[in-house]
Amino acid sequence: MVSAPTLHVVSTELTVGSFAMAGVAFVLAGLASHGWFNLKRHLKLADHVAHFALAFGLLAMPFAMVTGIQSSPGDGVDHPLLINKMFLGSAAIGLALGVLLTRRRLGEHVWSDDWGRRWQSLGGLSAVGLVLLTASIGGTFSRGESLLDLFKLPYDTVPLMPVWLSGIVLLVAIGNLLAMRRGRAV
Amino acid sequence: MKRTPVLLVVTVLLFASSLGSANPSGVGQGTFDAQCGGACHGDADMNRSSASTVVVEAPTTAYEGLPTSVSVTISDIETTVSGLLGVFLLSDMTGAGDTPADAGWDILSNSEGGDENYVEITVAPGETERTVTWTLRAPSTGDHPLHAAIHHGTESGEEAPFFGASVQPAVVEVVAVPENLPRLSPSFSPPVSRDVGEASTLRLDTVSVQSVEVEWRLVGGPINTVMVSSAGADAWTFDLPSSLQPATLEWRAHLGGEGPQQTTPWFTLQSEEPSWEVDETVAYVQSITLLFVFMVAFMSLHRKTATPDDEKYDAFEEVEY
Repeated sequence: MVSAPTLHVVSTELTVGSFAMAGVAFVLAGLASHGWFNLKRHLKLADHVAHFALAFGLLAMPFAMVTGIQSSPGDGVDHPLLINKMFLGSAAIGLALGVLLTRRRLGEHVWSDDWGRRWQSLGGLSAVGLVLLTASIGGTFSRGESLLDLFKLPYDTVPLMPVWLSGIVLLVAIGNLLAMRRGRAV
Repeated sequence: MKRTPVLLVVTVLLFASSLGSANPSGVGQGTFDAQCGGACHGDADMNRSSASTVVVEAPTTAYEGLPTSVSVTISDIETTVSGLLGVFLLSDMTGAGDTPADAGWDILSNSEGGDENYVEITVAPGETERTVTWTLRAPSTGDHPLHAAIHHGTESGEEAPFFGASVQPAVVEVVAVPENLPRLSPSFSPPVSRDVGEASTLRLDTVSVQSVEVEWRLVGGPINTVMVSSAGADAWTFDLPSSLQPATLEWRAHLGGEGPQQTTPWFTLQSEEPSWEVDETVAYVQSITLLFVFMVAFMSLHRKTATPDDEKYDAFEEVEY
């Protein structure tokens, strides 16, 4: 039977590879949508690659998370790095879902508006950045070093909100989501 | 057709069984029955017999309520690449209700710096034998068997989890305490862990003791003696030095009085980096919040900027191929 650490490496490489490809495609799509560097003719290709790679990375992510939990020592999340990894991973999933749902809702119109195309490419890039940061924390946790260590990021500091504040923010977010759906229905 | 959802559910269930069958990275120290679901290998039917030899050693006689030392030696060790090996001390081999506490024993400490019956040790490459020691307070009078068991995987990681157990139990005859025997108080419970850099002043409560001498050592190091001060009737205090890095210190006391001199087992005191704890529920709620906030915030940004009503619009139509 293949052990959880091996499966984690495989699923992590799938996730990070997909997100990295999505990142490059989002850069190209952003440039193409603005008509820069004579890339406009590649917009359709970059758009499809970016969103499909992002979606595939999102599909691979749960496997990376499950095998990561299986292969981590001890029980539960008992290290600041693991908590920050979880927060960044959640934020990345949320942002990536937002990017994909927006693309699904607006279709190719997402590239037709000045601010829309900026938000879409920046949103996709930010999701990719968050995933790469999450992977960097994984490297720091398991091997004690990571390529992003040169930025001296405060991985050991955990920005933890009280549960009541998290609850309120969560309710506001869900309320906003429902308001958006109702607005569309009207 | 409902074939697709059914296939998805079956696939998820198949994945769940393979992922949940074992914890190759261990579960940490704890109080576990043999082969229980809480230890590293959940299903006994999946286990194979370990080739390692497990021997449990204990004194043939112990005094009721007084500490005694039990050691478990594992030889011909084979384990995973990470060297993780789970070791149990058990009161029987039924698989349920078989921790030493179920038979009246009280674990005071173990050599890995805890007070549980299940420990996980990391075996160095090439190391073929390891000994884990427990210090327990003896139960009521009578014969009390103690067994040991191990859990581990293989270096290749391809086969089932392995389980091994001691062939013979160590039977300890617990006898009543003579009236004038110098001994530790039944209420004395030694500390098992402390933070790195923290000095320890220990208070020793005793019964029928007139003099105390305390020795300490680092594992594998020379034995040192510390000054012991009287802190009243049958109470003594002494200082153990702080450690500058995570280390295991062992100490024991020689108790003198009217009865025959007694020596306690070695008690283990583990120095660890200050532990870090967090309320996991708070962290999980915040994670879900972050997910929704980032998703909704991003979708809200687009809400004001895009107009998908014109279905005839084609953002790609200006492209010339």
